[in-house]
Amino acid sequence: MALSDAPEALAYYTVTQNERTGWTGGLLVLNHTGRPLEFQCTLPVRPSRAHEILYGPTLQEHLIGEVIAPVLLKKCRTPIAMICCDQPESFRVRERIDLPVALAVEAAEAEEGPISIDTVPDTETIPFAKGHLCVLSHQGDRVRALSDRFRDFPDLVEPFDRIREAIREAQIQLARAA
Amino acid sequence: MQPTYAAIPSRTDVAPPRDLDPYVELRRISDPLRHRADHVAPVAARSDEAPPALVAAIDAARSWEIGGEHDPDNGHAAITPPETHALTFDAIEPRCVAVKLPRVRPKATGFLFPEGASWIPPKPESGESEATSKRSPPKRSRPGDQRTRIRPPQDVVKLQDRLYYLLQPPLDLLVGSGQLNFPFEPFPYQLDGIAFLYPRYACVLADEMGLGKTMQAISSIRLLLCSGELRSVLLVCPKPLVSNWVREFGVWAPEIPVAVIEGNSAKRDFQWRSRDVPVKIANYELLMRDRDSVLDENSHFDLVVLDEAQRIKNRQSTTSEVVRAIPRSRSWALTGTPVENSPDDLVGIFDFLSPGYLNPGMPMTQMADASRDYILRRTKDMVLDDMPPKMYRDADLDLTPEQWAAYEAAESQGVVTLEGLGQELTIQHVFELVLRLKQICNFDPATGSSTKLERLEADLEEVAASGHKAIVFSQWTGSIERMKGALARFGPLEYHGKIPHKKRETVIERFKNDPDSRVILMSYGAGSVGLNLQFCQYVFLFDRWWNPAIEDQAINRAHRIGAAGPVTVTRMLARNTIEQRISDVLDQKREMFDALFAETGSGDSTKAASGGGLTRDEIFGLFDLRAPGGKKVA
Repeated sequence: MALSDAPEALAYYTVTQNERTGWTGGLLVLNHTGRPLEFQCTLPVRPSRAHEILYGPTLQEHLIGEVIAPVLLKKCRTPIAMICCDQPESFRVRERIDLPVALAVEAAEAEEGPISIDTVPDTETIPFAKGHLCVLSHQGDRVRALSDRFRDFPDLVEPFDRIREAIREAQIQLARAA
Repeated sequence: MQPTYAAIPSRTDVAPPRDLDPYVELRRISDPLRHRADHVAPVAARSDEAPPALVAAIDAARSWEIGGEHDPDNGHAAITPPETHALTFDAIEPRCVAVKLPRVRPKATGFLFPEGASWIPPKPESGESEATSKRSPPKRSRPGDQRTRIRPPQDVVKLQDRLYYLLQPPLDLLVGSGQLNFPFEPFPYQLDGIAFLYPRYACVLADEMGLGKTMQAISSIRLLLCSGELRSVLLVCPKPLVSNWVREFGVWAPEIPVAVIEGNSAKRDFQWRSRDVPVKIANYELLMRDRDSVLDENSHFDLVVLDEAQRIKNRQSTTSEVVRAIPRSRSWALTGTPVENSPDDLVGIFDFLSPGYLNPGMPMTQMADASRDYILRRTKDMVLDDMPPKMYRDADLDLTPEQWAAYEAAESQGVVTLEGLGQELTIQHVFELVLRLKQICNFDPATGSSTKLERLEADLEEVAASGHKAIVFSQWTGSIERMKGALARFGPLEYHGKIPHKKRETVIERFKNDPDSRVILMSYGAGSVGLNLQFCQYVFLFDRWWNPAIEDQAINRAHRIGAAGPVTVTRMLARNTIEQRISDVLDQKREMFDALFAETGSGDSTKAASGGGLTRDEIFGLFDLRAPGGKKVA
């Protein structure tokens, strides 16, 4: 896809984990002004004990990058230009899609601590919406072009709060219904 | 499968010799088939000279051999005696069991937002507006965890509808990024107010006077119009405030066309039917005259906003009936005094918002709980850290001898008259006496003597000398007329019911701009709402209104956003008269207000607009009279 034809929408993706409910993913598609266009979320996923044992420390990456993200992206109906995430495990989804996957550095650092080239190898950092994106080196040019087109985007980090708030709301409703 | 064998020694006294020299290098026997506890003999001893290389050799004669027969050639002693038995065991045969790891398949659900939803009004044409849209983040920006988010009210039940609001960007972020344009930077609490109104179909914005209810309502309407959620809005307000609303729309939503319903009957009828203008403004009185047009079956408003909504607190009034019957989707009420006399005032307002949701006589705590999600009330003390203080100065004055004589005569004579009326006594009779006595507290009717005027003159000298301006409120235009002459040197201007509406704007403009006009004399009725006189730092209440909420409204003409400095409020009260008795009763009213709105933000009635006027029984009680058919209220 030529850069000029790229859709004017960003997909924000994050996964929350709750001891009681499990893993829930949310995908929020925003236009260049930060207004919502589409929202998709999963029902909570509860990996079995067998998953926990056999996947071991790679379970989180498996769930975030290989299980939840593909389902949400498949359901998403709005053409998107880039996936913006706050968990390094999400990079795994790049193997399944031909879209730039970017880690919002300031958002990820809240959980992960300082993000460096060691955290995510073969990446570079690109300024974006008052923050920084960590992207795979070979996708750098595409993201730089998007950065210019999304210069009015209000805040790089804030949309993740919206997703988490929406997931919390959905879980409250589920709990009431149960 | 070959059996395996284990040798079981029949004796246990097999032990290696213990006479090993520690300086002997041992050579390991690595042959697993010959697990002999080989005894190594020393071949070189330690000497004082440099130690030679040590070599260990197996001393076969002193070794055992496991599992083998006695070998006389080697001299080994078999450690397995002949009587050893061999047992066979089945070999452990591992079986492979497949653990099927099911693939985790999450279910997803979602929705698309309505197309075209936008909060961005058309691009401003002037360079000035463009400049405001590209400004840097606001000075009053909040930290990330205090964003102004639009939260769905409790009566929005469907998850998708709730998420529609939750997933909108925070308002403060949009203001900071220039996507929401305001002529002036809103205060954070004003953004909170917009976030409160935006998702609600029924609500009361009950902020204290002067906090900008008008701005919050207009900005919310603007967002809803831009996002396509509204197409037709009717705003109803008291007649004197119509021009104020038009002016405020011009400031806060200049791109939104507004039509004032006015003119002759035919013109008004046309205006009611017109769908060209999204916002119509009408006054309460006109609403009743045009009820057929307003209530036409083809008429429908997406939103009806009532300003000064306490107007409909009486559910039986014609105004209330007409307003409640307007076909509409959303209902907002704006008032700084949602409760004036009793909690039932709130029932009247809720009959417009959500009929039957509150009921007369409901316990106050129950009513407060039920209405909490529908009401937003803030006071200046709560939200404005940088608001100049409002200082009260109670001027408790002794009447002049002339006034006192007139007062005593009028009261004693009046009470006798009232008592003589017996069962024919009505509240109107009592009311007339109260008014008569209050007028004497202002001026002696025979001589014009006035302790209050003397005090006012003295105070105004000081105000004028310091270059400031003052507002004087009175209940009666007659009192204002009497004051006017005595205050001529301060260039007094009048603003009350006898001043035609068309001239009122001119009066206000002159008061703002004429340096010789140091004082404006206002009636509570005309001047207590909708005026912005924040350049005044002195307010005088020449007489006290029945209702402290009205007094607060009057004071807030000066003590509001943009106030030039501290506002000093002088409350004049004639000591040991009916004024003092009324004041005592009203103090008790404030406590009731506190109880009702404690949870919605405002809890300090001494600082907040609050409370209502006197009830029928309380008015009778002022003279220690028994209301006919009622109990005696002391």
